[in-house]
Amino acid sequence: MKKILKALLLPCALVLLMGADNQEARFQNLGGKIMCTCSCSQMLLKCNHVGCPNSDQMIRELRANVSRTQNDEAVLNWFRTKWGVTAVVEPSTHGFELLAWILPAAGLGLGLMLVVLLIRNWKMRPAPVAAADMNLAPNLEALRDRARRETEL
Amino acid sequence: MPLLGSFCLLFALALAGYCFVVGVVAAVRKDAIGYRLAETARRAGMASFFAVLVAAGALVYAALTDDFSVAYILHHSNRALPGPYKFAVLWSGQEGSILFWALLLSAYGFVLRLRHKVDQRLVAMASMVLAAIQIFFLILVNFVANPFGIMDRLASDGNGLNPLLQYPEMVIHPPMLYLGYVGVSVPFAFALAALIMRYPGEKWIHITRRWTMVAWLFLTFGISLGAHWAYAVLGWGGYWGWDPVENASLLPWLSTTAFLHSVMMQEKRGMMKVWNVWLIFITFMLSVLGTLLTRSGIVSSVHSFAQSSIGNWFSGFLAIIFVVCMVFYVRNRDHLRSENKLESLVSRESSFMFNNLLLLGACFAVLCGTLFPILSELVRDVKMNLGAPFYNKVMVPIGLSLIFLTGVGPLLAWRNTSVGSIKRNFAIPATAALVIEIVVGFVLYKNGVHFWADMGQMYAMMAFCLSTLVIATVTSEFIRGGIVWKNKLQTNLLAGIYQLSRRNMRRYGGYVVHFGVVLVVIGLAGAAFNQDKEQEIGKGDKVQIGSYTLIGEEYTDDDNANYSSQAALLEVYKDGKFLTRLNPEERFFKASGGQPVHIVANHSTLREDLYVVYEGRNPDTDHPIIKIIINPLVNWIWIGVLVIVLGTGMALVPNAAPVSVPLRSAVAVSQIDERGMQPAGAGK
Repeated sequence: MKKILKALLLPCALVLLMGADNQEARFQNLGGKIMCTCSCSQMLLKCNHVGCPNSDQMIRELRANVSRTQNDEAVLNWFRTKWGVTAVVEPSTHGFELLAWILPAAGLGLGLMLVVLLIRNWKMRPAPVAAADMNLAPNLEALRDRARRETEL
Repeated sequence: MPLLGSFCLLFALALAGYCFVVGVVAAVRKDAIGYRLAETARRAGMASFFAVLVAAGALVYAALTDDFSVAYILHHSNRALPGPYKFAVLWSGQEGSILFWALLLSAYGFVLRLRHKVDQRLVAMASMVLAAIQIFFLILVNFVANPFGIMDRLASDGNGLNPLLQYPEMVIHPPMLYLGYVGVSVPFAFALAALIMRYPGEKWIHITRRWTMVAWLFLTFGISLGAHWAYAVLGWGGYWGWDPVENASLLPWLSTTAFLHSVMMQEKRGMMKVWNVWLIFITFMLSVLGTLLTRSGIVSSVHSFAQSSIGNWFSGFLAIIFVVCMVFYVRNRDHLRSENKLESLVSRESSFMFNNLLLLGACFAVLCGTLFPILSELVRDVKMNLGAPFYNKVMVPIGLSLIFLTGVGPLLAWRNTSVGSIKRNFAIPATAALVIEIVVGFVLYKNGVHFWADMGQMYAMMAFCLSTLVIATVTSEFIRGGIVWKNKLQTNLLAGIYQLSRRNMRRYGGYVVHFGVVLVVIGLAGAAFNQDKEQEIGKGDKVQIGSYTLIGEEYTDDDNANYSSQAALLEVYKDGKFLTRLNPEERFFKASGGQPVHIVANHSTLREDLYVVYEGRNPDTDHPIIKIIINPLVNWIWIGVLVIVLGTGMALVPNAAPVSVPLRSAVAVSQIDERGMQPAGAGK
């Protein structure tokens, strides 16, 4: 069991440790979290359409911010301050916006707890039919029916 | 015609009202008179379908004959609109789409009432529940959003259909989606009826299984048509934008998928009865919530209609549904006790439970993301929309876990699975998954893709690995079972697999659906390797992207009664060899004030799509600006959807007659129980 756990944890740890750390990758990553404010409803880096009044300026600002600071959250906060909170489509990890991250996790956690409780409840409940009490031939057909029902159809 | 339509809608409301009220009286009386009353209620319910059909026909006729005295036709059609799109006018606006909803609901009701001999008592009660839902929608089309409103002055031409809807798939996409949304009303009606009646056994589950699968099939097909339309028309290179209305269609799909899995626990083991009843209640409520989100304007969406008071009606309806479900659940919850217990954590039952947990977790996450702007506005007075980065971070891990369960679940036996059986069953699929992962990783590395440096590409690699696991699992299930039948019938393996599938269409159809789902997942994972470029291309200008070279050949203007257009003609070379010519276009629809729509040029192969969008012209040089995107593996998504449709179709077909096998020798009953009677490939 320990081996299986280790085998499962290792790739998870690797995945968590990996990630983009160079400037261009950070620029691309952050550009995918900021929305163009020209009301085209597109991500900043996707909205380099002709005649857009904002995207060129925002892209320049993003590049400058990425080279100026190493903290991605600070870059996003800069955009929130300048262009409004709606410019960033990924919620921040503090304050009210943290709720957006917590709610799905809490929902899944609560569900997991319910499943565990349900399984415990089922395990503690006595079996409805004691198999050892049954005899051979008379109930055989009924048992075959039950087995067929539970395994086939 | 508008007068006939209005009259038919009123008549349909009266018939649905009769069906409901008399249905209640008949259910209370339970005598011979009650029986006869129930029969009249059934016939009234069936007649309501014809009344709504005539009303819908009247609206379509008004669209086809350009009757702009009808306000709805004036606002959603025009003379130059091609015929098939005039038919689509029926569901292109708020009033028409509610009428269309009422039509589909009464059509489902008609079939349900026609097949009343399946179980007359249960169908009578379900028909009553369905009539109550019909009443709500008929009240809306009669008094709140009447599609037959008459204009004060006669206009010479209409405002036209939304240009984004003038695309062949848009004639099919909304009806498919509506058939799915409305289709879940039937299992809901049966579940509520069975609960109200304290109906014994699992008959309601058996009756509604096909109804639920049909609704799920329509939802799946409708959602994928919408995705394909977005890909082909919106011109942003993607197919899913996590728009609130897209999310609204995904919510009931996720809960219906959970129901289709957990219902097997009730059928086979008499477990999860409360869960199943609430799953179907929640699914129906989510389909109403989806309508509330689209109609009320409480969330911003490219699909949303303007804000109107109709949202309040849906809120009220939702509240009534919840109260009714809760009241009958509290009164009759003792009727829903499980008959069996879970015997092992490593079993098919527990895999279904975790599958349900993940599907509902995904449903809850999407719901939170969709409703977050409302919460944000309430708390901070700012409507903060959550975009793709949020959903991708939350949903991708859930999705990968689900694929893992899809691979593992079928290899687990009901009740209990031994360690030996796990080792035996998992060896080949796990090895195949690892081998494919290494090969794909090597090929990507050779092509200069450093997937380990990008989280999205790492997720994509995991998706490839898990998808291979599922494909290997499904294949091994077919082959192991096929070999048994091959030996038994002394035939070849293919005939053995055919015989195997024919004897359990539901199970093997389900496996085909799983196969389709992983094809879709592989297609989605391909998005992690997209490349794009935007450039001005004059005559003879070149643009290089990946292994493609595009050369500007010509650019033209065109004009007809419905729209004017600009287009470019591009020659495409791959690795220096001529491949094809592409013709991206932008249309400006006249009736809608010149609203532009992209007609994307797409060279599609199994490996990748070369997706070319005409973005407009540079006013300084008058040269077209072209956006080029290489989308790997997109075709796998559409092929996967077709496989899902095929698998669901298979699962809907009844099984061939079972083969009787004579009992060779007496076997101790206790032995049978210990073995758990798991034949080769025992499954769903």
